[in-house]
Amino acid sequence: MLKIDHVSKVYRVGNQDFTALHDVNLEVPAGAFMSFVGPSGSGKTTLLNLLGGLDKPTEGHVFFRDYCLDDLSREKLAEIRRQHIGFIFQSYNLLPVYSVYENILFPLLLNNEKESAVRDRVKEIIAQVGLEPETHKKPSELSGGQCQRVAIARALVKKPDLVLADEPTANLDKENSLMILDLMQELNREYKAAFIFSTHDEKVNRFVNREVRLEDGYVISDQAVESAPA
Amino acid sequence: MILKVALRNFAGQGMRAFLNVSVTALIIIATIFSLSLLNGFQAQALKNLSTTDVGGGHYRVPGFDIMSPTDWEDLTQEVPRQLSQFKHNEKAEVLVQQGQLFINNRMFPVQLRGVEMGQQLLDLPMDHLLRRQQPVADSVPIIIGTQMSRKSKLKVGDQVVMKWRDKHGAVDALDAEVVDVVPLVNPRVDEGVAWLRLDHLRQITLRSKEITWVVVEGNRGKVEGLEFIDTDYLMRDLLALLANDRRNTRLIIGILLMLAAISVFNTQYLNIFKRQKEIGTLMAMGMTPNQIIRLFTVEGGLAAVGAVLMAVVLGIPFFAWFQISGFDVSHLSGTGIPVRENIFLEFNVREIATAVSIIVGLMILVAWWPVRRISNLEPTQALRGRGIT
Repeated sequence: MLKIDHVSKVYRVGNQDFTALHDVNLEVPAGAFMSFVGPSGSGKTTLLNLLGGLDKPTEGHVFFRDYCLDDLSREKLAEIRRQHIGFIFQSYNLLPVYSVYENILFPLLLNNEKESAVRDRVKEIIAQVGLEPETHKKPSELSGGQCQRVAIARALVKKPDLVLADEPTANLDKENSLMILDLMQELNREYKAAFIFSTHDEKVNRFVNREVRLEDGYVISDQAVESAPA
Repeated sequence: MILKVALRNFAGQGMRAFLNVSVTALIIIATIFSLSLLNGFQAQALKNLSTTDVGGGHYRVPGFDIMSPTDWEDLTQEVPRQLSQFKHNEKAEVLVQQGQLFINNRMFPVQLRGVEMGQQLLDLPMDHLLRRQQPVADSVPIIIGTQMSRKSKLKVGDQVVMKWRDKHGAVDALDAEVVDVVPLVNPRVDEGVAWLRLDHLRQITLRSKEITWVVVEGNRGKVEGLEFIDTDYLMRDLLALLANDRRNTRLIIGILLMLAAISVFNTQYLNIFKRQKEIGTLMAMGMTPNQIIRLFTVEGGLAAVGAVLMAVVLGIPFFAWFQISGFDVSHLSGTGIPVRENIFLEFNVREIATAVSIIVGLMILVAWWPVRRISNLEPTQALRGRGIT
C-alpha cells in the first residue's frame, strides 16, 4: 500500500542545509499498526509528513496506492489526503468553533457527503470512542484525552486506508495514553486502516506490531514486535 | 459547504466580527444618509429656485445680466405676440428695473421687480398686490421678503420714498407702501428686491407692455427678439455649489470606507496569522489552498453581508424617524442658498445600490487580499505555525 524508495529530505535552515532523512526505504502493508520511534530531531515527523503527502522528498519517491506522491500537484495531493489519509496530531488540532459532532462530520463534508447521509456514521463513531455525552460540546470543554479521541474519530470517520498519528500520546497522562492506544488498536482491527505513529513514548511500543527506529535521519532498525497485546 | 463553515468560523470570531460588522454597517448608514440628505437638499433647493424664479427657463432680452443693474433699463422690450398668447399657467412676465428706497434718510438700492398678476407659473405670495388693481396714484404698493424686511427694518404699513428712472431717463419718485412681508425661500427674490405689480412698474417707468424676461414652462422654440435661457444656466451657481458638496461628501465617505476596510484587513491578517495551525489542519484534511482562500474570503466577506443586514435593521427606523422630523436648515437663512425649511432625505435607489455594492465589494477585496498568502503556504509550515510571519 505504501512504499518509500530511497527517500532523503533536506531542509534549508538559514544558509545551511539540514538533512532530516537519509536514504530511507520502507514498505507498509495495508492494515499495519506500527510506529516510528526515535528522539527529537530523528526525522519521525518528517517521514510522516512525506507519507501523508504534506511534504515532498528531496530525493527518492513515495508511493501510496497507485500514486507516486512526489509527482502530484497540490490539488491531487489534497484529494488523496481528503479521501484516503487521516491525521492525528499531538495537540489534537480540533477546529475550535465546532462541536465534537461537527469536528467529526467535517472530513465527510469535505468529501462532498450530505450530512443527512452520514449522520448515523458520525454518531456511531462518537459512541465507539465513548464520547456520546460530549457530542455537542466544544473542544474547549473537553479534557486532553477526550480531545484526542475526537481527533481519532475525525481521522477514521471517512474510513481511510492510512492513519498518520504524530506523537498522539505526548500530551496525555499514562492512563489516557493507554486508553487512546487501546482504542486505536481496536479501531485498526475494525476499520482495517494502517496506523503509523511517530513517538518517543515507550508505552506505545507495547501496542504496535512493527517498530521502525530512527536516529539522525537514518533508519537504524525495522523490526516486528512480538509482544503486542491482543 | 464553504459558506456553512465560513458562517460558523465567522460567528466564532465573536466581538471582532461584531465590531467589523458594526463599523461597516454605520458606514453604510452614514453613506446612504449623506447621499440622500444631499439629494433632498438639492431637490428642495432646485424646486425652490424653480418655483420662485427660474420656472422652466426664461425668454430674456439678449445681453441681460442680473449682475449688471446699470444695463437693466436698456434691456427691455415689448412682449412678443408669440409669448403674450400663453395662458397664466404657462408664462409669467417680469420687468426688472433699478430703484432706491430712502429708509430713515438713507438710500437703499433695490431691484424693482414687477411680476404679472394672475400668473400661476411661479409660486409667489403676491395676494396683497393682487388686490391693488387701481393704477398708481399717491403711493406704490410693494411687497418685500422677510430677509429684506430684516435688513431694511421695513415692516407692513411702512411708507418710504421710492425713486427710479423712467424710460426716457427722467428720475421720478413716489411713496412706496409695504403692503406685505412674505417668507420667500429663495434669497435671489428676497434680499434687495421690492416686488410690484407688473402693470404698476410699467406705469411708473412708462414701459407699457415691456418685459425684461418671460418665465416659461420650457423651451417653446425661437421667439423673435428674445433668447431662451435654460434652467441649467439659470441655476448654474447652485448646481456648482451642490456638485462641490457632492465631491466633499464622497471624500468623507471614502475616508470612512478606508477605515472600515483597514479594520477588516487587520482582522483578516490577524486571522491567518493566528489560525495557521488551523489552516495546516485543513490542508492535512484535504482542503486545497484555493478552497482555504475561498473559506477565509467568504468569512471576511460575511462582515460585509452582516453589515448590510445590520444597516437595514438600524437604518430603517433611523431613516423613518428622520423623515418625520427632517433636518433644520434655518441656519442657512443668512446665506444665498435657496432653502429655508426643514429638508428631508430623498433616496435614489440606484445610487444606494451602487454605494452599497462598492462597500461590499471593497470589504470582500480586503478580506481576500491578506489571505492570498495562503496559496504559497506549505502545510508542514502551517502546522508548525511558522508559515506566515
